[in-house]
Amino acid sequence: MTVDTAHARSLPAAKPGSALAQQQLQDASATRARRAASAPGTKTTGKILGYAGMILAGLVIAVPIYFVVITSLKLRPEIYSDPITWIPQILAPENYTYVWQTLDFSQYFVNSVIITVTLTLVEVSLGVLSAYAFAFYRFPGSNLLFYLVLGTLMVPNEITIISNYALVAQLGWRDTFTGIIVPLAGVAFGTFLMRNHFLSLPTEIIEAARLDGTGFFRTLFKVVLPMSWPTLMAFILITAVTEWNQYLWPFLISDTGRVAPLQIGLTMLQDNEGLTNWGPVMAGTLLATIPMIVLFLFLQRSMIKGLTAGAVKG
Amino acid sequence: MNITRRSALSLAGLAAATAALSACAGTGSGTASAQQEGNGTLQFWSNHPGSSRDIEQQLIDAWNAANPDTPAELIDGGKNYEELGQKFNAALSGGELPDVIVASDVTWFNFAFTGATTPLNDLWESEGIDTSTYVETLLADYTYDGKNYGVPYSRSTPLMYWYTADLEKAGLPTDGTGPATWQEFAETWAPKLKEATGKPALTVADGSNYLDWYFQGAFWTFGGAYSTEWDLKFTDPKTIEAGTFLQTMVKDGLISVVKDSANEFGIGNACGLLESTGSLGGLKESATGDFITTYLPGPKPGTTTGGAGLAIPAGISDERKKIAVKFIDFITNTENTITFTQATGYMPVRTDAADVPEQAAYMDENPNAATAIRQLNENTKSQDYARVFINGGGQAIGGALDKIVAGQDVETVFTALQEELQATYDRDIKPNL
Amino acid sequence: MTAPSIPGLENTDLSRQPRTRRVRTSAKTVLIGTALVLPNLILLLVFTYRPLIDNIRLSFYNWNIASTRPATFIGLDNYIEWATKPESWQIVWQTLIFTVFAVFGSMVLGLALALLLDKPLKGRKAVRSLVFAPYVISGAAIGVAFQFVFDPGYGLIQDLLGKIGLASPAFYTSPGWAMFMVTATYIWKNLGYTFVIYLAALQGLRKDLDEAAEIDRTPRARKFWRVTLPQLRPTTFFLSITVLLNSLQVFDIINVMTAGGPLGTSTTTLVYQVYQETFVNSRAGYGAAVATIMFLAVLVITVVQVRMQEKNNDR
Repeated sequence: MTVDTAHARSLPAAKPGSALAQQQLQDASATRARRAASAPGTKTTGKILGYAGMILAGLVIAVPIYFVVITSLKLRPEIYSDPITWIPQILAPENYTYVWQTLDFSQYFVNSVIITVTLTLVEVSLGVLSAYAFAFYRFPGSNLLFYLVLGTLMVPNEITIISNYALVAQLGWRDTFTGIIVPLAGVAFGTFLMRNHFLSLPTEIIEAARLDGTGFFRTLFKVVLPMSWPTLMAFILITAVTEWNQYLWPFLISDTGRVAPLQIGLTMLQDNEGLTNWGPVMAGTLLATIPMIVLFLFLQRSMIKGLTAGAVKG
Repeated sequence: MNITRRSALSLAGLAAATAALSACAGTGSGTASAQQEGNGTLQFWSNHPGSSRDIEQQLIDAWNAANPDTPAELIDGGKNYEELGQKFNAALSGGELPDVIVASDVTWFNFAFTGATTPLNDLWESEGIDTSTYVETLLADYTYDGKNYGVPYSRSTPLMYWYTADLEKAGLPTDGTGPATWQEFAETWAPKLKEATGKPALTVADGSNYLDWYFQGAFWTFGGAYSTEWDLKFTDPKTIEAGTFLQTMVKDGLISVVKDSANEFGIGNACGLLESTGSLGGLKESATGDFITTYLPGPKPGTTTGGAGLAIPAGISDERKKIAVKFIDFITNTENTITFTQATGYMPVRTDAADVPEQAAYMDENPNAATAIRQLNENTKSQDYARVFINGGGQAIGGALDKIVAGQDVETVFTALQEELQATYDRDIKPNL
Repeated sequence: MTAPSIPGLENTDLSRQPRTRRVRTSAKTVLIGTALVLPNLILLLVFTYRPLIDNIRLSFYNWNIASTRPATFIGLDNYIEWATKPESWQIVWQTLIFTVFAVFGSMVLGLALALLLDKPLKGRKAVRSLVFAPYVISGAAIGVAFQFVFDPGYGLIQDLLGKIGLASPAFYTSPGWAMFMVTATYIWKNLGYTFVIYLAALQGLRKDLDEAAEIDRTPRARKFWRVTLPQLRPTTFFLSITVLLNSLQVFDIINVMTAGGPLGTSTTTLVYQVYQETFVNSRAGYGAAVATIMFLAVLVITVVQVRMQEKNNDR
């Protein structure tokens, strides 16, 4: 029933046919269906509805984002005007300078980059290696260990925080990058994703490489990874986004601007009693999001390229 | 999946190793009683109430200049009191403790009660600190079992804000009188304002945003209360009457309960606002017209105080405690409390602040800020135990008031609330009193 | 290369053995295999399983996190308290509602968008990037930003509704609308994830089947049901697991938008309750019990899901 909505939205052109198909999927007569599908005008209608759907989707996503952008450029009285203003009457780029000056923005930014880059490198390496082992090697308990890795997806952060905090504090890692990074470095989602992907690769190629006596790292870098770019890109992107947006854990572990990431710096713009001036908050939020958008656009290109290349070959 | 015996064994081994590791971490063992030595720098954990980060840094710089041997450092403790409490909780569960923390009206007691923070009286005595100039009621808020567990820092009180133009339209006084009682509000002020402007007379934040704090005083004026000491009063007929009053006002469209009441008022969707003094600065910028502030309706005391104080963890060494208590005295001394409050909108915590010419001039120029300070002396008392001393009490009361606002039966809601909080009290507090 | 590299499309049958099963188990493969897995496994054991076990242990204690008094063992009392509180079942129900709508909503809309933007429409590339954009923004930031969308006083929705003469629903004060608001916000944010994975899968679908259907002039709706959807099954399974686990753990959006309210607990989910009890009310033992209950529930749901998938594959 839910899927019904999906197809009704995406394949509106086949209306006559779809009604039929839904009534009697099994026995729908091929001839009648053929007639319905080739009815004149269906194609144009489909196109129009397709564009309509695309525009609608675009608007639902874009309008709130646009709203955030203009809010970041508004002065306080205008942010709360009723009726709302779609174009700021007075542009207030000073919200951005305010963010820059109030926060030690560059320091927080560098911290965020250090944390995200390190974690992404470590997690992607660990994820690929464990996925490779789970997909291509047989060793005692490998299946069980895989379930063990997968099981961690079910443990919410809130459960692990107290205990990890105590351990990290005992190790003297509070207010250090080590303390923030190490407990977050284990990777379950990526292992799941990459293992599934590796299992879909043609076995013969890997077998052949192995029979040739090709070493492990050579097989990984020359044979397996070249066939895996899009999945790997998705893995990298999702990891980077997750770590960039970490809040609770770095908040507890960091004490000062020395190691705290941007998401924590941003909270300093909010006022807990009384009125927050949302213009700078929105400006800060946007500034903090830009690196991830850039990363996405950058990775998206190779992701889609790899996907289409694969599709063409297939 | 096939669990071979070997893999089962290895799993058991892993489980054992994990369990052993988890025993080492020692959470839950109550280790915070050790006398922690610090790293030589006093750690002040603050959530910078009232966007006060720069001011706080300025005060700390002044301290460091005067006390180069015992430097202090400002640590970001989160974006609100809840987050700061959370970070402190985590530290108590087995980390390095700070020297001074900001503790809110609803968190300080739990910390004092569980022994996480230290009583200050002996420290005051040994260090020769004069506490006589603290505003008495504000200091008394941090008393438990005859001892003081905190010092007032960023303290606020609810005020009534009114648009002058709306009051004039309704023919109501604009001289700062305000409604004398909630009955007067219901019978004269609210209907007149509603008729003249078509807007609700008053807007107030909902239960997720401290309605339980703003409306606490109203319960007192009806003769009711959340509690009298540890005696819960939700099922008292007077309390129920006050709850019913709130419900009727909302139903008649005279009071509106919203998420963000300061902004609701700011954009002109209501004639009046029941909000903390902390909103003064922001509203001066964003309100759609001139406004005045008044006391909350009586009979006195018609409202309470809130905000946060400063406390010292019990688990640090005596040496650290001694420095910490001096630091607190410095941060809240007459000169510094004036600097702090003028920048944030909170109330000065020292009585002699008013004698400083600079502060007197400030009060003259800012009559709205003066309302809060005058009200503090005339129209406030400490909060009810049920809201601030019982874990989760404020939140539970807020939720109950939300239900009342939404039209549920007042007596049923309050009876359930009473049972819930009584159970919490019997379980967590009574056995340890 | 028939099945190209598509995130989540491939073999999601968990029980399926690696195809290299037939290869002899040599000492060397055992060594390499273990060495590859070990670093990751140690991290997960120390920083996920150790806390989990610790958490289960604490759930049998009465422990005030701020207390200097040691925790006292109270057996099953925390669990009994939880099970006998009406509030708990309300929270379970709310968690269920939120999760069901969040999972179905984001998957159905993600698939619909993927199907749409898989078509040769002009400008689809721009819309593709746009749809993914919310996914990279932090949940807390979205929660803050969406007050300008939902607020009944100055938000976007009240403005648009006002233009056609309607009043805005009370998004923050009515329990139903508040739940709608957080669910819609969650879907808005996570649509990008399901969309990208479905799109990738669609692009890798076996074109020969498509072409066969094309030549056959199979009606499109029928093609969707009989050709496309079955091929997408592994992807759907992968998404249903990851989105389910993710939505059960949503915290930021609720914390920022409603703080679990209105009426105290109307949008409180289990994870939010764990947080509240542990850190706000300092009742770490009780919080641990709620966390354990939640973990067990998730475990059961996931195992059932996996079993159902296996059954499907056997047919």
